Amino acid sequence: MTFVTKKSLARRTLLKGLGASLALPLLDSMAPALSAQVKSAPRLGFVYVSHGVIWSQWKPATTGAGFELTPNLKPLVKLNGQFNVLTGLSHLEADTKGDGSGDHTRASAAWLTGVHAYDRTRPGVEVQLATTADQLAARVLGKNTPIPSLELTVDTASQGGCDSGDCFYVNTVSWRTPVSPNLPENQPRVVFERLFGDGGPPAQRAERTRKSASILDSVLEEASDLAQTLGASDKSKLNEYLDSVREVERRIQGAEKTAAAHFEIPDRPVGIPEHFEQYCHLMFDLEVLAYRADLTRVASLVLARELSDRTYPQIGIPAGHHGISHHREDPELMSQKARIDTYHVRMLSYFLEQLAATPDGDGSLLDHSLILYGSGMGNGNLHRHSDMPVLLAGKLGGKFKTGYHFDYKLDTPMSNLLVTILDRAGVPIEKLGDSTGPLKLDPLAV
Amino acid sequence: MRSLALLLLMPPLFAQTGDSGAAAEVLRQYCAGCHNVKLKTAGVTLDPAGVTQIAGNTELWERVARQLRAKTMPPPNVPRPDAVAYSKTAAYLEAELDRAAAANPEAGSLPNLRRLTRTEYKNAIRDLLALDGLPKEMDFSLLLPADNAASGFDNIADLLYVSPATMERYLDAARKIARLAVGDSSGPVLVNYYRLPQQAPQDSRVEDLPPGTRGGIAIQSYFPLDAEYEFQIELSGFPRESHQLEVTVDGERTQLIPIEGPGRRVGPVQAKFAVKAGPREIGIAFIQHTEALDEGSLHTRLRTRGTQPAIGAVTIRGPYNATGPGETPARERIFSCKPKTSAEDAACARQILAALARRAYRRPVNDRDLHALIPFYEEGRKISFELGIQNALERLLVSPQFLYRIERDPPDAKPGSTYRLNDLELASRLSFFLWSSIPDDLLLELAAAGQLHEPQILEQQVRRMLADRRSDAMVNNFAEQWLYLRDVEVKAPDVFLFQNFDEGLRKSFERETELFVGSVLRENRSVKDLLTANYTFLNERLAKHYGIPQVRGSDFRRVALPEGSPRAGLLGKGGILTLTSYSIRTSPVLRGKYVLENLLASPPPPPPPDVPSLKTEAAGSGETLSLREAMTRHRASPACASCHARMDPIGFALESFNAVGQWRDQENGMPLDLYSKMPDGTELNGVQGVREFLLRDPERFVGAVTQKLLMYALGRNVQYFDQPAVRKIVRDAAGSDYQFAALVLGVARSDPFQQRSAKGGKQTP
Repeated sequence: MTFVTKKSLARRTLLKGLGASLALPLLDSMAPALSAQVKSAPRLGFVYVSHGVIWSQWKPATTGAGFELTPNLKPLVKLNGQFNVLTGLSHLEADTKGDGSGDHTRASAAWLTGVHAYDRTRPGVEVQLATTADQLAARVLGKNTPIPSLELTVDTASQGGCDSGDCFYVNTVSWRTPVSPNLPENQPRVVFERLFGDGGPPAQRAERTRKSASILDSVLEEASDLAQTLGASDKSKLNEYLDSVREVERRIQGAEKTAAAHFEIPDRPVGIPEHFEQYCHLMFDLEVLAYRADLTRVASLVLARELSDRTYPQIGIPAGHHGISHHREDPELMSQKARIDTYHVRMLSYFLEQLAATPDGDGSLLDHSLILYGSGMGNGNLHRHSDMPVLLAGKLGGKFKTGYHFDYKLDTPMSNLLVTILDRAGVPIEKLGDSTGPLKLDPLAV
Repeated sequence: MRSLALLLLMPPLFAQTGDSGAAAEVLRQYCAGCHNVKLKTAGVTLDPAGVTQIAGNTELWERVARQLRAKTMPPPNVPRPDAVAYSKTAAYLEAELDRAAAANPEAGSLPNLRRLTRTEYKNAIRDLLALDGLPKEMDFSLLLPADNAASGFDNIADLLYVSPATMERYLDAARKIARLAVGDSSGPVLVNYYRLPQQAPQDSRVEDLPPGTRGGIAIQSYFPLDAEYEFQIELSGFPRESHQLEVTVDGERTQLIPIEGPGRRVGPVQAKFAVKAGPREIGIAFIQHTEALDEGSLHTRLRTRGTQPAIGAVTIRGPYNATGPGETPARERIFSCKPKTSAEDAACARQILAALARRAYRRPVNDRDLHALIPFYEEGRKISFELGIQNALERLLVSPQFLYRIERDPPDAKPGSTYRLNDLELASRLSFFLWSSIPDDLLLELAAAGQLHEPQILEQQVRRMLADRRSDAMVNNFAEQWLYLRDVEVKAPDVFLFQNFDEGLRKSFERETELFVGSVLRENRSVKDLLTANYTFLNERLAKHYGIPQVRGSDFRRVALPEGSPRAGLLGKGGILTLTSYSIRTSPVLRGKYVLENLLASPPPPPPPDVPSLKTEAAGSGETLSLREAMTRHRASPACASCHARMDPIGFALESFNAVGQWRDQENGMPLDLYSKMPDGTELNGVQGVREFLLRDPERFVGAVTQKLLMYALGRNVQYFDQPAVRKIVRDAAGSDYQFAALVLGVARSDPFQQRSAKGGKQTP
């Protein structure tokens, strides 16, 4: 790992393409400031991809240890033995209940909730999902970090192209409460500022923090007064505001205690890199950085959202992902879909390799993390929420054994896995969505 | 025989309006055969006798009326009523529904607090602080998160959330905006980076840049202070000859930078000079020259910037060596008084803050409001008066009363009961509807005086607001979202199949629809013109794409279209045809769905849960089906047929436009078959046929526009109980042949717009 001084980093940032070229130096430049205070704590990561997989290209032929990497999993060759593949898990709550369209919207809504997303465009139906697993984790694991959780995306929200009027379900996989989705951030620059503020020397940052605190105090008072004048009116939106103000207050109070408050901050990334791959790398870098600096222990990233029609000319695929996923068993389209899936796993492999290469406590960051990678559909062609691809990387500080393919009885609730992950991360919950109990994840028990 | 008998009976049966017997007979004859208690086809039971008791079941009867108007039921190949029976039965049901609604009004569910959208926040800042066009580094897309869109619109009230991450952004935005508006000299150096897309052509003049220049970029930027700014211009290409680069500020040349050639790749060039604070238009372009050497005659590569040296990116960095805050519109707006002695400070601060709070909170201010702001002023005042104002402004911009539009239920309102908004709430509804922004002083004055709801005054104000420039929001916020025009930006037509598509064309698509829709709205034309108007707006690039001769240069201008031109109206616009296509081919389904959803507000119902998959159909025989074959088989299944029978014919009739909206006579060497037939037998032959179909019953298209306007104006889905209001708006606008202003006025006068339902203490679970 090379040491890049702030000065040389700044030069590089300004003179080269700004943004993309920044990725690696960004991580490296932080090393000296951060290595001193790294301690191992559980980290959770959730990475979402859309439209299922081509099963023959994903599922390993054998179960247990020593399975052979399938075409989709080949990019993970360097990480062999550090992840598990789980098959047979389903989110049947994502299936229709006679309430119209939205196989895609329900797929991403159910992914971390196990809860059915009702069609809210109908009269009398209001948004009501559930707090997602990452947010349940953030309430506990995020207590002592400046940022309880990060929500990221590398996809753009579409305006009209949804299979129901409820497009918002596909833009995120993270809900802070049953009525408040977290809008994932797609601007690297904004993520950076969320982690490190918008620069300036430490003294100036401290002054800003102080000022923000007094503003928050004051608006809290105003909002409480306002609540009095609302009488019988619905206060749910005001409560959302109040909760947010309190949360930011808490964060600001904690901010000065962290190491990040005292080191010099490198230049910010500007704009979104033109190439998708560099964009993914930069966003994953920011996630690794946030874990490493212990700014947050929980993060989610949407690598491809449901209904995304992104084209992948860089791997020779000029047509859109969603269109291709409806392959109608056409071998050419199936091969294209499989190539997209492999490409996504390649993006994941970059992330996991960064985690594996980052020392953390008695091992690597990956050793202390658990990264859940998967899709809310198994067969995208048929919109099936059954037998979904699931990959679990990292050992979560020894809580998970890795290197296995677990093949569960078909339609075992995916929610059981979420319960198990939360439990082992120190966030015990009795039930999540349609869960029926914990999932057995011991090599001998399956 | 029975239907013949009915035909004979029809005239007397419908002799009087409101005759329930005739309607019941039509239902018995054509509907109840499937939709009866035994069969319950599609879960619907229609009791013909029920037509006399519509009030209890308005949701169902609205659906029936709608199906009759659209003639989508009965299904194909089943006897159907004649045109008269269709329309009379629908008219009877609608009259009954309207009566039921009048007796028992329902205003729909809206949260009492509604967060401003990012667009509304941006416009509010513009109108509150006279701050237009922020520096790139402070672009609103970076300052605030995007809003969730539902059914195309991003202003749907129940989906406007706030999270801690959003709150951080609001704090941050408030700090940056207050600093900029007041002209804080301690602000940081801003780095504004503008990258030109690789595919933006730079071989000819760019619109907005001076004649005699070539390529380059026009930048609307905001300069925080009177100061020096550094311009760094990255170039691409290898010049074969010398060039000159011109930098202009508000059209005046400030720099002429020589680029020596021929030579190696040119590095970035820099210039540093003073610019006055405020919004400025920066032009950076090459001087056009026509000497013997002509790089332009070389063959242009695929989707490049061109063959001549081009500008890759521009960075504007500053301020440096500031001399003062300058005279900006924002400072003029904020500092309505300037204290001469420190004794006058307090009174002047109160005056300034009261004026800001009134506009920001959109109501008269009281002492409590000022009480919250003054401590922030006083804290800053320790350093300077201006910093005091800046601090208080920063505080004001995160107030829940600025960030949320608040409509309070009256204390005695029963949950679910309907009541009328007060005039101040009405003022905000109007301004956010027509301007996507806060009300201006006149509107607030009329509201504070309790006069705004008076019909004559309301009409005057709506007309005044439509004439105001701020109503551009009707084009670039309402129409863009209604027609999904923002999706043009994310389309990625295949590079090899559509070599003529580039960023210049994409921009032209966006510009054309913006100007075209704008012309209909601004000139208060009939909204029917959106489908038929035989003019459009073109520059040379787009005219070539359309095969329209004699349009030269990069400026857009209005061009009359010949009689029968395929380009007339929205259906001929390249942008719309592209956004309804896949990256490699057209999609009749997408185009059909778009027309039904956006132009008829009659989206096909979602596929049934037991939709037979295309896969199953292909299996068994073991054969691989072509897309067309697979679709044909798919449609053969009754479950799929009823929707595809409505979508596909429209799409097939539009097949004469390729996936980037270019005209074609054949596909893959095969002649196109543009003939198709709607389920009710209407024959569509090409784009003209679709236009005629859409305007055959103009009330349907106009009703669709009205529904979209109403959804946007209310910030919620339009439901069955809104249909009586929609019908009234359409009826009232018929006299003016559906002029745009008449529809807008109708919305502003409508009950859903002026009323709300009491929420009644419902709490977040």
